[in-house]
Amino acid sequence: MSSTKAARIGEEVWKTRIDKVNAELVTLTYGSIVAQLCKDFEGDYMEVNKQLDKMGYNIGLRLIEDFLAKTNTGRCANFRETAETISKIGFKVFLNITPTVTNWTSDNKQFSLIFDENPLADFVELPDDGRAQNELWYSNILCGVLRGALEMVQMQVDAHFASDVLRGNDTTEMRVTLIRMIDDELPPGDD
Amino acid sequence: MVILSILILNKAGGLIYQRDFNEGLNKLSSNDYLVLAGTFHGVHAITSRISPVPGSGGLEVLESDQFRVQCFQTLTGTKFLIFAEPHQPNIDVICRRVYELYADYVMKNPFYQIEMPIRCEQFDRQLVAYIKPKQ
Amino acid sequence: MSNLNAPNSPFVPFSPNPSIQSGVPTATPPLSASKPAQLGSSNLRYASSRKSIYDRHLNRTQRSELSKASFAFLFGEMIQYAQKQVSGIQDLEKKLNIQGYAIGQRLLELLLYREGRSAKRETRVLGILQFIAQTLYRHLFGKPADGLEKSREHEDEYMLIDHDPVVNSHISVPKEMSQLNCAAFVAGIIEAVLDGSLFPCRVTAHSVFSEQFPSKTVFLIKFEESVLEREAVLQ
Repeated sequence: MSSTKAARIGEEVWKTRIDKVNAELVTLTYGSIVAQLCKDFEGDYMEVNKQLDKMGYNIGLRLIEDFLAKTNTGRCANFRETAETISKIGFKVFLNITPTVTNWTSDNKQFSLIFDENPLADFVELPDDGRAQNELWYSNILCGVLRGALEMVQMQVDAHFASDVLRGNDTTEMRVTLIRMIDDELPPGDD
Repeated sequence: MVILSILILNKAGGLIYQRDFNEGLNKLSSNDYLVLAGTFHGVHAITSRISPVPGSGGLEVLESDQFRVQCFQTLTGTKFLIFAEPHQPNIDVICRRVYELYADYVMKNPFYQIEMPIRCEQFDRQLVAYIKPKQ
Repeated sequence: MSNLNAPNSPFVPFSPNPSIQSGVPTATPPLSASKPAQLGSSNLRYASSRKSIYDRHLNRTQRSELSKASFAFLFGEMIQYAQKQVSGIQDLEKKLNIQGYAIGQRLLELLLYREGRSAKRETRVLGILQFIAQTLYRHLFGKPADGLEKSREHEDEYMLIDHDPVVNSHISVPKEMSQLNCAAFVAGIIEAVLDGSLFPCRVTAHSVFSEQFPSKTVFLIKFEESVLEREAVLQ
């Protein structure tokens, strides 16, 4: 599926099949979640990152069904198509953004998503405690979501942020790597 | 359009939802339904492998003179079985809608544990509200 | 000027302090000396494009929309996370209330700012409840609350009614937890707005079954004595 076709599908599904809510409700809810985690883990931002990733993973396992049900997407022929689907349809129908797909490795197994906009991080400034900007990946939940969702369609991936404007970097970039395809396993024998 | 019953199977072939929409059906025991689901799951897997066409999916439609069962398998391995009267058109539309309701009222329910039997009141309500007017 | 922390004082210190919710308002701890007081001495890095959040207009995302699914999944995780930490329905509702509280505090400032010149500081109970039922509700959920009632038995209780809370729309509470209402989250938002407007109170969410509205929720607002006293004076 070409990038333009994916973009068209994403736009159409967003316009016609998605129930919408005020963006600030989502932004503030996510903020409350991150703030609560920072409080619970007493400023151990590495733990917070892990927890966000875990939460994202749980969401991803469920979100994939919602994505498939709403968009009617078929199986992607290759990882490049997967990337376009994630960026133009996936992110579009949930967050109304289309991060740019770029920086492919020559084996086509790794790419970057560059976020020009990130509704989860609107109006967010990390704490000025000398550590948050070096340790916390505020939007880490998105990495978990991708990991969980793709695992449900038989792709094992790693996703992590390489940079974030909240940390003072120039861009917000997520790196996604295909580790392996998960083969269909025969159902367990009866017991 | 008469829908007789709907079954939902998880990825491992376990039955997670079963509901009749028609009074005159034979009532099976809950164990029978589990066996039915597991059997179907196995048959579905076999049919995808013995198909002469490479890259084939599994069993999609089974029709007899008493009923028609349509199996919709998602990319994630979840199967939706719709039992209807024979020669019913547009079961596809129903499959899609049931999948949407599943995504909305089962997946988005934080109290539902993945792969476990579905006990979501809203899902029941919405499903009945969707199917009943069609009978 | 009266001592702000005197008992029976009509003023409650407005602080992001969840201890207020336990019924014992404690003073806001003074800013610690190590915190940089002026903007220029912040140690935060900003992107080289020099565009920070302070350059963006506050009203930019006022009418932006995201998918309801995004909210549902995030809220669902919030609930699951809270469930792991507590062992009872009341504690779970309290956790959700606290998370909503943080949102309510911010929302109050934001909504008042957006009203601009026509912003009115509400001093009467009915006024602030209308603000919540109309302005706040419309902003968050796209529709006003479905009803506002005053309790006949208790002077200090009011009820805000929502026939179908948006936050509960995908949730089915298991039968063994039927007492739970996840709109405790919204109760927290409402409580923060009321506390912040100097109407200290406790807000809880209750499911009320009705044939016509199976998801009907009533937010019970119980005001503190000081609010009623002031209301009587302003009568």
